[in-house]
Amino acid sequence: MSKPFSLIVTDTSPLFTLVLADALDALLRPGLPVRIPDAVYVEATRVHGAPGADQIVEWLNAHLDLVTIVPTDVGIDQQRRLEEGRSIRGLGEQAAVEALDRFLRSDPTAEALLLFEDTDIQKRRAVVEERVSLISTGDFLRELEAAGLIQSTDYILDQAAAQGRNVERQREIGEEATTRERLRDQLQQRRGARDLER
Amino acid sequence: MTESDKQKLIRQYAAGEITWHALRERGFDSYLDVLAGLGELGLRPPVAPMEGPNVEARRRGRAIIREALKAHK
Repeated sequence: MSKPFSLIVTDTSPLFTLVLADALDALLRPGLPVRIPDAVYVEATRVHGAPGADQIVEWLNAHLDLVTIVPTDVGIDQQRRLEEGRSIRGLGEQAAVEALDRFLRSDPTAEALLLFEDTDIQKRRAVVEERVSLISTGDFLRELEAAGLIQSTDYILDQAAAQGRNVERQREIGEEATTRERLRDQLQQRRGARDLER
Repeated sequence: MTESDKQKLIRQYAAGEITWHALRERGFDSYLDVLAGLGELGLRPPVAPMEGPNVEARRRGRAIIREALKAHK
């Protein structure tokens, strides 16, 4: 493969599916550089303690040589919206369009492979040019399965759904932990204030 | 959205009748909620059959991954 290829993650769904199935490394198996638009990354990891969020951060940090977070204008807008408490729905996808555009403009010979969620890729027409190819999470896993690199596509998807079943419980634990942390911070601040008064 | 509405949508999604994009438009904020719903119903995320408006680009995509996996072995 002589051309500079890059795998661009267009949405949080492949990340969540793979992280819940404990299979994020599958993204690295083809040896292609992986680009994650900032808004997609933030959407997947912004809630500290949310299922999968910490694992995605750790995985990314362990593979900075292969995985890049792509800064975008949409990502900046996303930050502003988060600060103002406005909806960020759909911004990941918009950031992916911008990341793709930047990538293609950076090198006239570059080619991109967009990783999509299955139902979206099947039914929604993606505006693509010759230098852009598409792959769904399911197609991606099928190729890994055919190459003998994963047990089976169904197994990975079953694992993701099975872990998904625990999502609500994990969220509650996360919220409890956040509440405990806030309480601890408040108590420490009060103690600090009292110490200053003495 | 009631719990039964959510389950109905999740079942339609698992059957490939509606898209993740459509679920978002109907109030699902995170794909985690979709995976949670699938898990509760004992369903798995759908895998798209090789049909629809993007088939050629998808075939190219699978070929790229296949070639990359061979080269990377």
